Amino acid sequence: MAEYWGVKVEDIFNSMQERFRPEGAKDLDTVFGYDIKDEGKWKLTVKDNKIKIEKTDDLSGSVATMQADGETFVGVNTGNVDATNAFMGGKVKVEGDMAAFGKTGKLFRKFVIAQKEMTTKDYLADMFATIVPRFKVSEAAGLDASFAFDLGGPDGGKWTVFIKDNVCTVTATIEGKPTVTLEFNDAKDYVDFILGKIDSQSLMAGGKAGAKGDLNMMASKWPVLFEKYKDPLAGNVPQQELIVLKKTIGLNEKFSTGPIMGKFLKGLKEKKIYANKCPQCGRMQLPPREVCADCRVRVNEIVEVGPKGEVRYMDIVYYAMPDPLTGAVRDTPYGGINVLMDGCKGNETLPHFIRKDQIEKIQMGWNEKKGTRVRPVWEENRIGDIWDIKYFEIDE
Amino acid sequence: MGKRMAICAVAQIKNDAEYWHLRFQNMLLGCFESIMEQTKVTFDMEKGIRNIITCSDDLFDARTISDNGITDVVGAHFRGEEKMAQESINGLGYAMASILSGHDDVILFMGHCKESQGESRRMISNLAYDPFYSRPLGMDYHNVDALQARAYMEKSKVTDEHLAKIVVRSRQNAKKNPYARENKLVNEQEVLNSPMYADPLRELHIYPVTDWAYGMLLCCEDRVQEFTKKPVWVTGYGSCMDRYFLGDKDLASNFSLNNASKRAYEKAGIKDPKKDIQVFELSDHAAYQLPMWAEGVGIADEGKGGKWIDDGGMDKFNVNLSGGQLNGNPLLLGGAARAMECYYQLSGQAGDRQVKGAKRAVAQAATGGAGQHQAVIVMEA
Repeated sequence: MAEYWGVKVEDIFNSMQERFRPEGAKDLDTVFGYDIKDEGKWKLTVKDNKIKIEKTDDLSGSVATMQADGETFVGVNTGNVDATNAFMGGKVKVEGDMAAFGKTGKLFRKFVIAQKEMTTKDYLADMFATIVPRFKVSEAAGLDASFAFDLGGPDGGKWTVFIKDNVCTVTATIEGKPTVTLEFNDAKDYVDFILGKIDSQSLMAGGKAGAKGDLNMMASKWPVLFEKYKDPLAGNVPQQELIVLKKTIGLNEKFSTGPIMGKFLKGLKEKKIYANKCPQCGRMQLPPREVCADCRVRVNEIVEVGPKGEVRYMDIVYYAMPDPLTGAVRDTPYGGINVLMDGCKGNETLPHFIRKDQIEKIQMGWNEKKGTRVRPVWEENRIGDIWDIKYFEIDE
Repeated sequence: MGKRMAICAVAQIKNDAEYWHLRFQNMLLGCFESIMEQTKVTFDMEKGIRNIITCSDDLFDARTISDNGITDVVGAHFRGEEKMAQESINGLGYAMASILSGHDDVILFMGHCKESQGESRRMISNLAYDPFYSRPLGMDYHNVDALQARAYMEKSKVTDEHLAKIVVRSRQNAKKNPYARENKLVNEQEVLNSPMYADPLRELHIYPVTDWAYGMLLCCEDRVQEFTKKPVWVTGYGSCMDRYFLGDKDLASNFSLNNASKRAYEKAGIKDPKKDIQVFELSDHAAYQLPMWAEGVGIADEGKGGKWIDDGGMDKFNVNLSGGQLNGNPLLLGGAARAMECYYQLSGQAGDRQVKGAKRAVAQAATGGAGQHQAVIVMEA
């Protein structure tokens, strides 16, 4: 049998059962015929919200019969031939009850051409070609931003997506100074990322991708500005129903601080930072704990340290790790620091955050090198909680 | 008879309804220090403790890998530490495997559970069931135990009055145990009037929420004199896992406990538990389990639990002189609590509840709803 656009006539009929929409068959009790030139005849029976499709020579009993050649039939069903033109031009005819036949339009989901594969280039073309149709204007009020994509490798290219005055446009270059630029060493990784095959964290961590400019715009705004990209190949695979049960497991807890952590938290209320000091080895613990695990002795001596200190370790976190106790999502990026408080030495450090606008200015101390000097910024209303210290800031 | 493992020393914090002022780390620390003090054991990598077995539960502690929160207060830094998340009694079985294989000479065995921390132990045990079917049905250890209770009580002619008798006796016995949870003494009528939780289980039939922690020092036979003059021996251990899905099993059957005790008895050379063993500590999470487990370990005849109570079986066989699980121990630590009572009895330290001349004792523990997993150890003076 002949193929048109990679599809055989019988593919259309064989997929009817799969594409059938019972809601489109309500109250229908009828028989339709299809007579496709040089291909054969098919009979479609609709009854009790079910269909039956069979290849047969006997189309008797049909209320209407469609006649077309194979190319036109496949073209109309796959969207390659305009149905109205084909009908007006006489390439499609309907014998019998024309109005009844019109109801077949609601009986089936659209037939989607099964593409065998798409290259990275095909995907990139499709992804950027669908940007404008996927644009959600309702999310763009007051927005004036440009998103640049610098994708390397043999199939790569450059694109910029502009959003201004509620209009979205795409160019195949990078122009001016984009609000944010996303860079991938290999465009294939970008395609895989969009298709959900790799996650951004492992790409970033592996040095395969990076971003410049307003990262928050890319991380938080981009996903709401556009409908999610749909893989054209994914639509062809008959979807198996995936049974999903969504459950949230919650259990209220009452955690005791015990006397040692209790003293530390009470100290924060009074703008004091307490460590405890091992009576044997002299090391300090922040926050304090019941014992020195190295010496296996109780540690009862509480010592006030700081409140200033120097940065010993630091990182910058780009993903919005939610606070498990409140569910609040942190602003990204944020800077985690371990502060070597005045009065402590070595690795006797207290972890906390650095003021958001000072992330880039912080220097980590290492051996003889001094880290940036920092001081705590206290919350006005303190309740004995680690957020009584809002964050640390540079002590200038 | 095979080789045996020594219990050199035990330590515990008193069972309590709520240690609101302590973290579970604080609860463990006193036990740890007591073991060090009693035995003078060290952490020398040649001669001392190289490995620590702990027992705790992620859901009760509300933290992943719950043992990580307590390694410092049990001396576990810079050496082996492994957690038993199932019933604590299996920690003794695990320690025994390490010691009798010659892999370790000395093992510190610590456990904790702060049941008062979570809002609802029933919600916690609900999470023990599969998410697709049993969990949505609301299964938890109480209502599943109730299914078993009805089936067992029917089979063994155990009545509401029998259960009342068990609860009254448990609380009376616990008054003689300085480490037992402080509970109000009740009479049989109060138990019979106690509200139904899941018919036939009443509120007073079910062990109360309890916080507890313990420690034990375990050792091989060759080196026991270094740590104690009066060891108690573990001579047999057996366990058995029953079918998981509730619909698969005969709920009135003691299949899994029969198997576990048979294996433990064989290893310990016990021919007739009624004659050879003087003390029994059974994990009665709910009152009906006392006669049921008594049948399972072979001191009551099968299907005769009710008559066994009427005939004075509980006192005749010295069952749960500590007050038992029913008086209050954390769910997953019942087995360690049972073994600890056997230790006191066999070393002559049981005070007012001492059984004179006790030579052998049995500690039994169950995990899961309707006694799914069972384990038994035999101990000797």
